[in-house]
Amino acid sequence: MSKNKVPLIEGLFTWPSDQPRLIASRCKKCGTPAFPKSPYCTNPNCEKNTDNVEIIELSNRAKLYTYATQTYPLPEPFKMEPFEPFPLGMLDFPEGLRILGMLTTENVEIGMEMEMTVRKLFEDEENEYLTWAWKPVQ
Amino acid sequence: MKNREIAIVGMGLHPWGVWKEKSMAEMGCYAITEALKDAHMKWQDIEALACGAYMWIADQGGVPSLLLGTSISTMMGGTGIPCVNVVNACATGQSILREACLAVASGEHDIAIAVGSDKSSGGFFRPQSRDPLYDSDYFRYAMVGETNPGYWAMEMRRRIYDCGTTEEDMAMVKVITSKGGVHNPNARYKREFTMEEVLASPMVCDPLRLFEICATSDGAAAIIVVPMDMAEKFTDKPILIEGLSIGSPSFGDPCISLTYLSAYPKMEIGVGGWSESRNALAAAYKQAGRTPDDIDVIELPDNSSWHYLTYMDMIMQLEYGGSDKLLREGYFNIPDGKVPVCPSGGFGAFGEATVTQGLWQCIEVADQLRGDLGPRQITNNPKVGLAQSYGYAGNNGVCIMSKAF
Repeated sequence: MSKNKVPLIEGLFTWPSDQPRLIASRCKKCGTPAFPKSPYCTNPNCEKNTDNVEIIELSNRAKLYTYATQTYPLPEPFKMEPFEPFPLGMLDFPEGLRILGMLTTENVEIGMEMEMTVRKLFEDEENEYLTWAWKPVQ
Repeated sequence: MKNREIAIVGMGLHPWGVWKEKSMAEMGCYAITEALKDAHMKWQDIEALACGAYMWIADQGGVPSLLLGTSISTMMGGTGIPCVNVVNACATGQSILREACLAVASGEHDIAIAVGSDKSSGGFFRPQSRDPLYDSDYFRYAMVGETNPGYWAMEMRRRIYDCGTTEEDMAMVKVITSKGGVHNPNARYKREFTMEEVLASPMVCDPLRLFEICATSDGAAAIIVVPMDMAEKFTDKPILIEGLSIGSPSFGDPCISLTYLSAYPKMEIGVGGWSESRNALAAAYKQAGRTPDDIDVIELPDNSSWHYLTYMDMIMQLEYGGSDKLLREGYFNIPDGKVPVCPSGGFGAFGEATVTQGLWQCIEVADQLRGDLGPRQITNNPKVGLAQSYGYAGNNGVCIMSKAF
């Protein structure tokens, strides 16, 4: 029997889903978004009222701003088993945010259109633990 | 400082390295003792103390390390003076120096000391808890696996794309700064590196190589400040603190600072990258009434080759990428460039000792202005210098100093 696939930390992306998306917040007054969600609008010129903030799902497409490869294993609390060198990047979203994420491949270029997916970090007897990741649009 | 001019009259360093057998309090006492000797003072003369609070509390330091100044003052022998513990990541050094200066500038005290002592040599800076509600850094580290060099490498990749920085430029930074470390008794790595060696070092976070990023170290430092009109009682080589500022980020900064998962770039409202660094620089230049042309010597946070080049762009107010050309032309050479950069050997020769490194950078600039450093002494007869630190989560400190003798 296959194991449950669950996010390592709940509430950061929509799951289960065929087209997972990051979960962010946005100010209804001035439009300022935040990821992870913020209880207050972070625009210094906007009212500080938690009622102004709504939860949104971000686009599952974004543009690669930059990337690099982590070639060495990281100590806890990061956990990837088995460890393999992995690329990570910063992506520019149509909603105006720039967000970090792992990439599925090093064969990318700055400016490339990417699509959101998930990848396994590690598993235990019951679950596979997932994070979000980005792959080039086919 | 507005109410009183402030002078540095005493400085002390504990050498950087890996000091497994020593506590942070012991290293702090060593640095204080050296500073007191330098200022011809006794411990009982100190009227106020500001100490850096240690950041790696969960793995190593625990609560006493957050209150390190109190432990240090107890080890020195309690005299009942006000003792505050401050943490601003790698900008803590300038932050506690500022606390000491404000205590004197206000007229509340005449003699204050800033002390930092730090054991960061365990490597890998990482979140101190696993509860994302308490520690948002856990999101970033557990879900994305971003380390400090991983972040630096992404910024470096983008600089290469935008400005055409080359492999040789990145390696040249280490070649130049290592010349400072050779003659510095307090540096951890005292040897020169060649271009070939740097380019042959392993790729750690593509595009950054092993010798293009700094190590993590243990170290301690202390600086004593008094009003300028009292300085001659303690030293014949006082250094004037002209500007000392701490910066935080502005809304709209496009950079995803370490510990964060996102940014909201608003370039259209005029906010540049690393705004905390630009803000601290602008404020320090304004306080000092100086421009980049006045600066003769610089200590900057060369955590990696990317930092060095980016900070030179900002400190000298060059266009993005402008420092690459000056680097190639030898402008920043040690000891004989037009404006020598990191004559101490920089982070490349010292390694990060997080909350104390800002003090060491200020001490190096002040030492160069005093002008008696032997083979490490820069040769442009410096009058004015600048020391800048850059920390986690958008924290920055800048100190501008000048020769006052």
